[in-house]
Amino acid sequence: MKILFQARGAGLQALFLVFLSIAIMVVDHRYNHLEIVRSNISLVISPLRYLVSLPATAGNWLGDWFTSHTELLEENEALKDESRILSARLQKLEILAEENARLRNLLGSSRKIADDVIVAELLSVDQNPYRQLIEINKGSSDGIEIGNAVIDDFGVMGQIIHVNPQSATTILISDPEHAIPVQFIRSGTRSVAFGRGSTRQLELRYLPTTADIMVDDELVTSGLGGRFPPNYPVARVVSISEDRIHGFVSAIAEPKARLDSSREVLVIKPKK
Amino acid sequence: MSRLRYLVIHASLVIALILMILPLPDWAQIYRPNWMALVLIYWSMALPSRVGLWFAFFSGIVLDTSLGTILGQHTLALVVVVFFNLNFYQRIRVLALAQQSIYVFALLLINQVVVAWVEGIMGRSTPLMAYFGAPLVGMIIWPWVFVILRDIRRKALLR
Repeated sequence: MKILFQARGAGLQALFLVFLSIAIMVVDHRYNHLEIVRSNISLVISPLRYLVSLPATAGNWLGDWFTSHTELLEENEALKDESRILSARLQKLEILAEENARLRNLLGSSRKIADDVIVAELLSVDQNPYRQLIEINKGSSDGIEIGNAVIDDFGVMGQIIHVNPQSATTILISDPEHAIPVQFIRSGTRSVAFGRGSTRQLELRYLPTTADIMVDDELVTSGLGGRFPPNYPVARVVSISEDRIHGFVSAIAEPKARLDSSREVLVIKPKK
Repeated sequence: MSRLRYLVIHASLVIALILMILPLPDWAQIYRPNWMALVLIYWSMALPSRVGLWFAFFSGIVLDTSLGTILGQHTLALVVVVFFNLNFYQRIRVLALAQQSIYVFALLLINQVVVAWVEGIMGRSTPLMAYFGAPLVGMIIWPWVFVILRDIRRKALLR
């Protein structure tokens, strides 16, 4: 009997839940009210995320454990060399930074302050295959906030879009919904680089045909829009195509950051 | 004690969730079967009075959160799939496993179409292989899912 009656009620109930799901989608797409729901559920399932990324972590750890003594010595030597070269360069840089600050002071403009950085590691968790999202192991308890820029040692990777207490979701610059304001180093032209859903490509659309761009041009963040701090490397132009009908030029650029293979990332916190 | 036994349903859904976020190589991702849908189809077929639309709804919300999709996307798909299943399970339950698989393929395809439809509304296109790849794999593994979950259900004395 129970099942008979249930079958009649199921239609109404299904209709209600379908509308509820659609309402949730609209609210989630347009407003931020559901961020609390999302972060609470995320908190509950975060042990699962750690569990899932455990085999990869354990693999790395075992790999480190079995690295032979000589390899370690070699690596140590190489790292020492690198450190020496870098500190030599740093000295030069410090002098330049000082000089820069002095000149800026002369000009009366505000001094550029170095940004705060948090080191985080990726959780190897797969998400929606049609998006380019990654999960990192630092969250609001480490001071990460929505909108913080994420970089690796080669360039800009993306920005934070959801924050949970112990983890955060990063949208990569290659996500189809992401766009990053950039500037060509050589010519100073400003543009916006859109993701295309592939970790190897960014697209620069609707550049004027007169724009001064060439293959191999380097792109850095322009700092417009306020999300990304200026002058971090973003990408390198690999091809340029001209749309003669509409009178535009578009270009494909390859991201500098290793979007698909970096394990450690840096989260940049803007200084207030 | 009898209430505790129903925790196997939740446990199987948690395992399905783990399988949904387990890292796979890039090329294999679109072939990942929708474990969540498979497990929900089984339980709503075996225990329709226990596992119904609300179960699908909450599983969907959790799935959306863990996949980072828009809240409601997989929820909608799972509610639709479980609704169809609640209407047809009496006829399907008696079929042979191979015949059931075809029915499961249809349900998974509906699930996929709803998900892709929402993606489309938000202006992202879904590759064609993504429509059929995952439901096909789901269809192939359905007999195993069915047998494993049935044994679990019998061990837990759920009816």
